[in-house]
Amino acid sequence: MSAVGSVLDLSLSQLALAFLLVGVVIAISIRQGLGVGRDLVVGSLRAVVQLYLVGLILAVVFRAAQWYWVLLILAVMTAVAAQAATSRLAKPMPGARGIAALALTVSTAVTLAYVIGVIVQVRPWYEPQYIIPIAGMILGSAMTSAALAGDRLQGDLRVRADEVEARLALGFSGRDAVQPMARTALRAAMIPTVNGMMTVGLVQLPGMMTGQILAGSSPLLAIKYQLVVVFMQAAATALASLLFVRLAVGRYLTPAHQLRRYLL
Amino acid sequence: MAAPLPPRDPLFEVEKLSLVHDGFGGRPPASVLKNVSVAVERGGALVLLGPSGSGKSTLLRCLNRLVEPTGGSVRFDGRDIRALDPRDLRRRAALVMQTPVLFEGTVRDNLRVRPAGTPGDFSEASLASAAVEVGLDETMLDRDAATLSGGEKQRVTIARALLRDPQALLLDEPTSALDPPNAALVVETVSRLRELRQLTIVAVTHQPELVRRVGGCLLYLVRGEVLAYERADGGVTDARLQAFLAGEHASQSPDRP
Repeated sequence: MSAVGSVLDLSLSQLALAFLLVGVVIAISIRQGLGVGRDLVVGSLRAVVQLYLVGLILAVVFRAAQWYWVLLILAVMTAVAAQAATSRLAKPMPGARGIAALALTVSTAVTLAYVIGVIVQVRPWYEPQYIIPIAGMILGSAMTSAALAGDRLQGDLRVRADEVEARLALGFSGRDAVQPMARTALRAAMIPTVNGMMTVGLVQLPGMMTGQILAGSSPLLAIKYQLVVVFMQAAATALASLLFVRLAVGRYLTPAHQLRRYLL
Repeated sequence: MAAPLPPRDPLFEVEKLSLVHDGFGGRPPASVLKNVSVAVERGGALVLLGPSGSGKSTLLRCLNRLVEPTGGSVRFDGRDIRALDPRDLRRRAALVMQTPVLFEGTVRDNLRVRPAGTPGDFSEASLASAAVEVGLDETMLDRDAATLSGGEKQRVTIARALLRDPQALLLDEPTSALDPPNAALVVETVSRLRELRQLTIVAVTHQPELVRRVGGCLLYLVRGEVLAYERADGGVTDARLQAFLAGEHASQSPDRP
């Protein structure tokens, strides 16, 4: 072990020891017949390769510190998040990826601008050390909530299609007819965030706070940042799921107040 | 018995209706309706028959524009339905579904549920008379809708439709989710309403009793195509329709009509 500043560096052999932890999971998978052993191997190898590549790219971007590189990185992150947010839908949703990209871009941009420009007041705004990890955390929350909202909306519209049709048949507009399902989807998307706020710090220290403390920050400074993170993630969650649901609902309705039931 | 004459005063005119779903999401394109033409006399009745998946319910939903056809046209009261506000059309051609959908609350809440600006009389007296009209006691207005039997629920949805003063009732297998006594009550209600209110009825049903009581014309659909079209009261000649009315429809497979 060698110390860099106040942080203990990890050698490659130490990392290899960490990999043994995955071995435990694989052993459990085999003994219990879970059949996820293969996915675990692939998943952990992907984690190694992805994180290493990201680390290399970030090192370059941090050194260059140019706004266009930062924007490019953010664009790639958003595209990947939009893809991931819609890839687990039970059934294909027309235009889902575009909807997710729009919802994530807007929600992340608004939240990020407020955090970087108004709260933390980073100068210049594109300082990679701040904007990239903060954007990543916002985007992660937005992505999770859009995925939850989309999944719930689609499932509810399918299960409750008769109810939607009954409302339409009573003369309700399309938007009014799907309002109950839109609301449930929004609630489903926000519950993890609200629950997370309730137990934050009590059950486990959030990842960013842990990282800051490991990197030598005082816990009190780490907490201040963590509070900003919790609130910005809540905002991103609400904005992203609201936008996603609004746009997605439009894919299942027609201007003539019809439910496109065959898509469900 | 030849095909029925075209009605002199049609409420619904369906012309060369077709519906093709594109193959979204890896599914093969599906032709749900093929060139269907039929008309329903004002105050008359049309019963849609056929094996499941033959497009009956879809055709019914084209009449109030819950479903958009990809070809052909539907005229309601002399006007192309695309020229009408769909919400208005749906109040005038009210749909009663196979599984009655009631919302949270009392029977009264369910009868009153409507978008803002819906014309019609939703006064207490009007609610009570609509309840009585479908054979429900007016004391039931205070009951929690969730506690009703299937037959009662279905009659609440019919009363809810009546409060909008519709010209037509579109019935999508209104009795198939009910036990025989409740089904008989709903059939009774529908045929009485037809006479009292001169309602035009279009019904999808598997129940010969409803056909006998409502009468009118019979349209036999298989895979979205009209295979037979006859008057119900003139002695049905088509073997498939005869079989259906004799209650043998259940043994038919969709592939071999």
